[in-house]
Amino acid sequence: MPPPNPQESVDAPLPVGEDEFRLIADSAPVAVWVTRLDRRRSFVNRAYAEFVGLPYDEALEFDWREIVHPDDAARLLQESIAGEASLKTFELVGRYRRHDGVWKWLHSTSQPRWDRDGNHAGFIGVAHDVTEAKEGELALREREAQLSAFIGQATAGFGQVDLDGRFTLVNDRFCEIAGWSREELLTKTMLDITHPDDSGRNAGLFDRAVRDGTPYTHEKRYVRKDGSEVWVNNSVSVIRRPDGEPFGVLAISLDVTARRNAEESLRKGEETLRLAVEGAGMATWELDLTTMEGGWSPNRFDLLGLRRTPDLRGTVDDWLDRVAPDDREMVREACYRCFRHGIPYTIDYRIRRADNGEERWLQSHGSRVADSGGGPRRFVGVSIDITERKRAEEKLRRSEESVRLAAAGAGMATWELDLPSMEGGWSANRFDLLGLRRTPDLRGSVDDWLERIVPEDRAEARSAVFRCFELGEPYAIEYRIRRADTGEERWLRSHGSRIADSAGGPRRFVGISFDITEHKRAEGELRESEARFRTIFEQANDFLITTTLDQKVTQVNPAVLAALGYTEEELVGRPISDFMDPDQFEISRAAVAQKLANGGATRLTLAVRAKDGRELIWETNSRLTIDEQGQPTGLHAIGRDVTQAKRDEAHLRLLIDELNHRVKNTLAIVQGIAQQTFKAGVEPIAARRAFEGRLAALSEAHNLLTREHWGPVSMAQIIGDAVMPHGGDAGRFELDGPDLPIAPKTAISLALAIHELATNAVKYGAISRPEGKVAISWEKIGTRAAPRLSLVWIERGGPEVVVPAKRGFGTRMIERGLAAELGGTVKIAFEPGGLVCVVDAPLPEVGPPEVGS
Amino acid sequence: MSDVAIPNFGGKRVLVVEDEPVVAMCLEDILEGLGCVTIGPASRLAEGLALAEGKDGIDAAILDINLGGEWSTSIAAALVGRGVPFAFASGYGNPPEGFEGPPMIEKPYREAEVVAALRVLLT
Repeated sequence: MPPPNPQESVDAPLPVGEDEFRLIADSAPVAVWVTRLDRRRSFVNRAYAEFVGLPYDEALEFDWREIVHPDDAARLLQESIAGEASLKTFELVGRYRRHDGVWKWLHSTSQPRWDRDGNHAGFIGVAHDVTEAKEGELALREREAQLSAFIGQATAGFGQVDLDGRFTLVNDRFCEIAGWSREELLTKTMLDITHPDDSGRNAGLFDRAVRDGTPYTHEKRYVRKDGSEVWVNNSVSVIRRPDGEPFGVLAISLDVTARRNAEESLRKGEETLRLAVEGAGMATWELDLTTMEGGWSPNRFDLLGLRRTPDLRGTVDDWLDRVAPDDREMVREACYRCFRHGIPYTIDYRIRRADNGEERWLQSHGSRVADSGGGPRRFVGVSIDITERKRAEEKLRRSEESVRLAAAGAGMATWELDLPSMEGGWSANRFDLLGLRRTPDLRGSVDDWLERIVPEDRAEARSAVFRCFELGEPYAIEYRIRRADTGEERWLRSHGSRIADSAGGPRRFVGISFDITEHKRAEGELRESEARFRTIFEQANDFLITTTLDQKVTQVNPAVLAALGYTEEELVGRPISDFMDPDQFEISRAAVAQKLANGGATRLTLAVRAKDGRELIWETNSRLTIDEQGQPTGLHAIGRDVTQAKRDEAHLRLLIDELNHRVKNTLAIVQGIAQQTFKAGVEPIAARRAFEGRLAALSEAHNLLTREHWGPVSMAQIIGDAVMPHGGDAGRFELDGPDLPIAPKTAISLALAIHELATNAVKYGAISRPEGKVAISWEKIGTRAAPRLSLVWIERGGPEVVVPAKRGFGTRMIERGLAAELGGTVKIAFEPGGLVCVVDAPLPEVGPPEVGS
Repeated sequence: MSDVAIPNFGGKRVLVVEDEPVVAMCLEDILEGLGCVTIGPASRLAEGLALAEGKDGIDAAILDINLGGEWSTSIAAALVGRGVPFAFASGYGNPPEGFEGPPMIEKPYREAEVVAALRVLLT
């Protein structure tokens, strides 16, 4: 199909040429375009035109920079200039405004194309819409950023450990609380910094959480680097991957040293302390374990939504009634264990307020206080509303979860890596993507992944990923893997980036991968079909030509160049009238007008001129090239050389005409012979014999002419053949003369004349006697400029000659017919010793055969 | 067409231009049978042209179109100039360009066709 740009620039053959490619390209869900050396587009497909919302010809001319997102413009321009200059395949990813104003992420791949001489001829580009993937990726990044900010700026400390208790992620606040630097913490386990008195209990809770996923809250002491102790309240939960497998444990730590100190003070100075505690928003209660009588602080009533009783008495059951049924057993157990066994507790649980039914989270601490005598006498409990903190925690958990879910939902497999330890986990679907079995702990190493990559692509992938680890360069790579299970080859696209922690140090790596095999396949098929059609275009024996509507050549295939002897540069851009005579161009021009009026195709036979001036006859079939709006944009024609066929046809026509002529002529001669032979008064049997003899002579002459292809024949031959049936083979006729060529038509008359003479000689003349002979001699006389034929027939040894009473056909044939044929004189003399016939005629130059080889 | 219907073209002078001697003789005999006087026969273009342009009176002419590769149209033109009616004779094809009017006699010559042509030319 023709690029409708009648630019003067020289274009390499478009990779494809015909409707079929347009069909394929147009049905492609991706935008496809072809540019020429001057960077103008010579083709865009339907998806391209639809994206920009312009008709074909405008889409060709249209400047893509107009629709680039301002944030991407500088980068895309730079990358595209660099890409074009590289003469290699290059890719761009950026936002472009669709005609309806919607921004779309497009991922374009531009591939250089080459003409058959290996010269760069422009690019062929394909762009697919990666908005969904890109937005998914951006959303993921955004969520990660949010999450990171949330963690970094939190007032609570966040400490994440792996399943072995090693710190993998800590925020600034955690470092502050624990009293160790981040670098120090990341080399330690959580038990390393836990107070020895608390570590046993802590280890038990941790193991149980890892084993069955139970979250827990407890208070313990960290030993700081400076040796001081800090009480923390840790809310601990197991971190899971989307498939539910745990891979780490997250503790949200609050510094509760102040409260702990307060509790400590409680034992010392109850009243002052209570005030202090209540001032800090804590509700307290105490119980005489002997009498089970006790009192609540007024705000404890408030906390539970109960009316304050005048005597501020509240029972254990009053409290337990408010605890959410799911948590009640746990609370009761912790409480009674403390009463009986003195085990202090810190528990988080939900209550339903008595006044408004609202669910709140409380955290309660309880401990038995020994009296001065050392016996268990009193119990002291403190409760605090931790609803806000719980909600924050929950929100965080959900947020983190949602990132992972979003990633998995978008078909992306993720992996994370703790860079200092190089330990990390994969999302479950990353195992699926690679055809590996999911491991129970969802651990996968860099090498596990690299092993799946096909050897040709492995080095590049390895290099990209390690540059990312070490230098922080994010990457986006496409590569092939061989699935571990089926051995199938798939294309993956992976992005990876290093995430800095809040102190700016490289801590973690996050990678995502998705399967782009279908894209690649579609792209590959497109390339393949493009190559296939390029081959057809370039190797077709038929002529493939495209022109503008005013019939300027836009493309020709090599067959055209070979036939006409022009180079592509000499042809492209020129009007076709340069290659044919005006009458022929008029035929072509009229055909275009007819197609513009009625559509369809026209089939023409045109004479075109090769560079060396030869006339070639071409049969062409041409059609309008129509854009998607139905507007004609140019012409495309397929043609073939019929010069030889036309020449053969003309030759054949000539042969048939000639044959017809000869047959009719021969019939006319036969008719004449018959008419002359069967005249009234001639004895029928004699007439029949005479007729047969004459036909035989005619036939013999024709045989000779046929042998000589109706070219000149030898005089000796025609005379020899004519006398042969009359005893020519017995030496009765003596022939003497040069081998003069005579014209075919003359040869027939000569043959018939000689036949008549010989017949007469046999019947009445020399040959009627055994000793009689006939001498036939001829020679070329006269001047070189005006040669003449002199032929003499002399009979000897025959009976005495009698002059015939009337002259028959034979005499007439000889004296008048042959004379007329030769344009000279023929005289028969009935000499007494024998008949003498003398021929004197001009001897014309004899040309080549009229027809035939 | 019966013998009775054969008209008498007695004494009419008919120019015959025919390059094949045997065929010319045949036509000559047909004309003789019709009472005509044959002028010629001429077997070449130059010969025919000389007769056509000559002083001898000619009432009609029968011209073989193809005279051994030459066309008898110049003879036809001369006859038109003299106002002499003529017919073309040919074994094939059509009358030469510009001479679509005169009758065509198809070879081989048949008496009836020659009669029909002469009737057009002479009456």
